[in-house]
Amino acid sequence: MAEPFRKILKSGKFIVTAEIGPVKGTNVQKMIDNIELLKTKVDALNVTDNQSAVMKYPSLGGCLFIKEREVEPILQVTCRDRNRLSIQADLLFAFSRGVENVLCITGDALKMGDHPEAKPVYDIDSVQLIQLIRNMNSGKDLAGNKLDGGVDFCIGTTATPSAEPIEPQLIKYGKKVKAGIDFVQTQAVYDLNELKRFVNYSRKINKDVKILAGVVLLASAGMAKWLDGNVPGIIVPRSLIDEMAEVPEEEGLSKGIEVAGGLIKRIKDEEICDGVHIMAIGKEEKVIDILKAAGIPGD
Amino acid sequence: MIGQVKKPIEEILGYLEGKRKIVIYGCGGCATIFRTGGEPEVNEMKKILVENGKDVLAAIPVPFGEFTCYAPWSSKRISGYRKQINDCDAVLMLSCGDGLQVMREIIEKEFGLIKSIYPATNPVGHMGGGPSLFKEKCIQCGDCELGKVSGICPLTQCPKGLLNGPCGGVRRDGKCEVNPDMDCAWVQIYRRLKELGELEKMNEILPPKDWGKARRPRELEVEPISLE
Repeated sequence: MAEPFRKILKSGKFIVTAEIGPVKGTNVQKMIDNIELLKTKVDALNVTDNQSAVMKYPSLGGCLFIKEREVEPILQVTCRDRNRLSIQADLLFAFSRGVENVLCITGDALKMGDHPEAKPVYDIDSVQLIQLIRNMNSGKDLAGNKLDGGVDFCIGTTATPSAEPIEPQLIKYGKKVKAGIDFVQTQAVYDLNELKRFVNYSRKINKDVKILAGVVLLASAGMAKWLDGNVPGIIVPRSLIDEMAEVPEEEGLSKGIEVAGGLIKRIKDEEICDGVHIMAIGKEEKVIDILKAAGIPGD
Repeated sequence: MIGQVKKPIEEILGYLEGKRKIVIYGCGGCATIFRTGGEPEVNEMKKILVENGKDVLAAIPVPFGEFTCYAPWSSKRISGYRKQINDCDAVLMLSCGDGLQVMREIIEKEFGLIKSIYPATNPVGHMGGGPSLFKEKCIQCGDCELGKVSGICPLTQCPKGLLNGPCGGVRRDGKCEVNPDMDCAWVQIYRRLKELGELEKMNEILPPKDWGKARRPRELEVEPISLE
């Protein structure tokens, strides 16, 4: 059995998590292959929840595959697609099947995705979602009713260290900390000074919250540019886009691996935060190469 | 006000297919401001329907200030057109959905007639502003939050309706993820609270909203105002 993620967070080791992107459909073999490939290399695996508002195989389904393979799954829960009843019911199901870690997120706007005509939910927001789970952890649902068999989730959330202006983001993050989180994984960071600014703030308000820096693999200069312009919350510095553009197209991916590995190495060596969360977006198998480039030996 | 735009004429003609004798009714309220149901639009609609072979039994403009959704006014005005309503195949409403449904009830309850009634406009929100630019400012949630958020409603201004601060999708320069031309609602609230010296208000966690207060359909009973 995998060690509970909550325990890993407290172990003092440099934590590595990665993201599994679900398939659109039921052909889950690729997902399972990626889980098999990464299960001994990371401390936990996240599964995205209709990421970028694109309808996919559910996070909960992916988490069950992860759990079956004895790795710690992190269930992503957005507030976009489910109301407070549905979220709580899903959480009960998740916990009953051994999925004990949850990442609370707002959810990308529907306009960004493949069902822009859908009715957005956002019945509760990410701060309220954290409170809701804390509440469930204490044995009650949001309406105050006692649960017949409780839950004990390890709670995470996200933050955007590169937002401008940063203050409203930090104020919101402060509310998330107050609501009660165990860990935070940041949006992709490329500017380590921005990451340091965020880490300082987070540790000042609560030193126990573990911070995982988000690292997104850039597969090409084109992708870097696209991410920067199209993916909410991701800002890729101009200098890095230029650096990516300097290498021949066929070497773009290796360059991206080198950049991601270099970032992770610096984060680890300089002890900037507690670990990293690697988002390889469709190239999950490259997480192994990124870790190699970062000098992190696999098990 | 109820912001509104004209429906495509093809859609309207589609509703009226097989209906020859038509009554058109406008609105002296929002529809006049939004140029969807004032006197010029009522006359224009009459012209279009006649050109399309319809027999317009009555095209009823409503003077500015007379809201079609206010039943006492509409009841009084339509009472002079009982015959035309009786004889028509359909009523075409150049008003919002409130106006249409109020008129439907008047026709049903006061005239005892069941008549086809169709909309000529698409209502697009509770809006303020003008004279030319109008913006949606309120979603009528039933429990106004403006006192907690510096007078800027995040339920309306934020496409996600977030009550506790910005999402992570906020763009460079604090622009909204969904609408890059708009400042993030929470960046606006932050700036105002800062100006007001009340930034500490932003630290308060607002609880999940009681959407029970927005459960539709809502109704209100009030002491009628005097129309004298």
